[in-house]
Amino acid sequence: MKITNNLCLITQDGQTKTVNVSSEGLRLVVPDGKELNLSALVFDGTFSVRVVLAGAEAKCRLSCVYLSGRKSENKIRFDVQHQAGNTYSEQIVRGILTDRAKASFEGTIRIPKDSQKCDASQNHRAVVLSDAASVTAIPELEIYADDVKCAHGSAIGSLDKTQLFYLMSRGVPADVAKKMLLRAFVRDVLDDSFEKYVDEWMGEHA
Amino acid sequence: MTKETLLEIKDLHACVGEKEILKGLSLTIPMGEVHAIMGPNGSGKSTLSNVIAGHPAYEVTGGQILFKGQDLLAMTPDERANSGVFLAFQYPTELPGVGTALFLKTALNAKRRFQGFPDLDAVGFMKRLKPRAQALGITDDMLKRPVNVGFSGGEKKKLETFQMAFLEPDFCILDEMDSGLDIDALRTVSEAVNVMREAHRSFLLITHYQRLLDYIVPDYIHIMVNGRIVDSGDKTLALKLEEKGYEDYK
Repeated sequence: MKITNNLCLITQDGQTKTVNVSSEGLRLVVPDGKELNLSALVFDGTFSVRVVLAGAEAKCRLSCVYLSGRKSENKIRFDVQHQAGNTYSEQIVRGILTDRAKASFEGTIRIPKDSQKCDASQNHRAVVLSDAASVTAIPELEIYADDVKCAHGSAIGSLDKTQLFYLMSRGVPADVAKKMLLRAFVRDVLDDSFEKYVDEWMGEHA
Repeated sequence: MTKETLLEIKDLHACVGEKEILKGLSLTIPMGEVHAIMGPNGSGKSTLSNVIAGHPAYEVTGGQILFKGQDLLAMTPDERANSGVFLAFQYPTELPGVGTALFLKTALNAKRRFQGFPDLDAVGFMKRLKPRAQALGITDDMLKRPVNVGFSGGEKKKLETFQMAFLEPDFCILDEMDSGLDIDALRTVSEAVNVMREAHRSFLLITHYQRLLDYIVPDYIHIMVNGRIVDSGDKTLALKLEEKGYEDYK
């Protein structure tokens, strides 16, 4: 089987649905007291999500793993608008790039002046397996309220050589060790139901 | 009857970056023996253990290591491990996201495949795991957690020793196993090592202190200073050291 489709699971009001992602992207509104969970696995193209946290105690957790192989170009865009005070958001993005793939992550957090007591975080990490692949992270924080918590971070690098050596020192061959570490890298972020697609991609690209 | 040689190091030179750490080290370890290397900080003890295991940060610039008569330096780290070399690290690496049980199973099956055996099934795996885990106080909870993540210093050392017992290597290097262990943990870990002492298996203990050698009594002690072995003797050498320090060797 050839994987081409991007996969996205959305859980809102306790109901989970699989969404077909078009390049125009998704726009989701979370009313007060509600929670949105989105987990996406992206192989190619643009994946764009805009979320508006419209009322107090609205929450969202956006997680995305992008796997970019060959000459694919991935754009991941998350935009969270904290329309009301006391709202919470989390953006977690993990990427693996091989060959000549290119990827970018643009993460926006908007907290207007009157939305006090919000908590927003954004974390992006990417592992680049080839010298010809490249990745860019563009965090945009538009924070106008003064009583908020906001954290963001991005790290781009190769596989950890010490971890690789530790596995090999226990007899695990390099290619198996590499795959174990890559799986571990995305496991915490991704919905379990996506694991088989990750394995399939690794078999072909990593 | 002379014992068969397990490991033979001849005139070994090794560098980290531009700096030469091992400066012509020679050491022979026969089968079934326990050897200890003692030496001051910075003498190259940990470099030696990392070079034997094949750590990529160390470059061997001269000399030879023969393991069971084979050229160890020509092997990748996983080939060395599957041929029977095991290094219990001074600072074990954390592997977030890699479950300890899966890690052990992958390592064991890698060795079995290398030796031409089929993978062990779940029942066989548990049979091999349970008694060894119990002896070292490795709990089910620890086996469910990612490798070394959130483990205390003592737990990490126990897990290293447990991996050694589980994988049954022929040559075990214990790099400062006693550091960070309280007296009870030291006793537990030493006991696990002592039950593994067999005619076909050898050990290299790397330590600063005499204390460990009260629990695991070595056949030979070597003193390492400035990248070389400068003295060798039986266990009484440690007592002499305890008294006089390394001053005489500098």
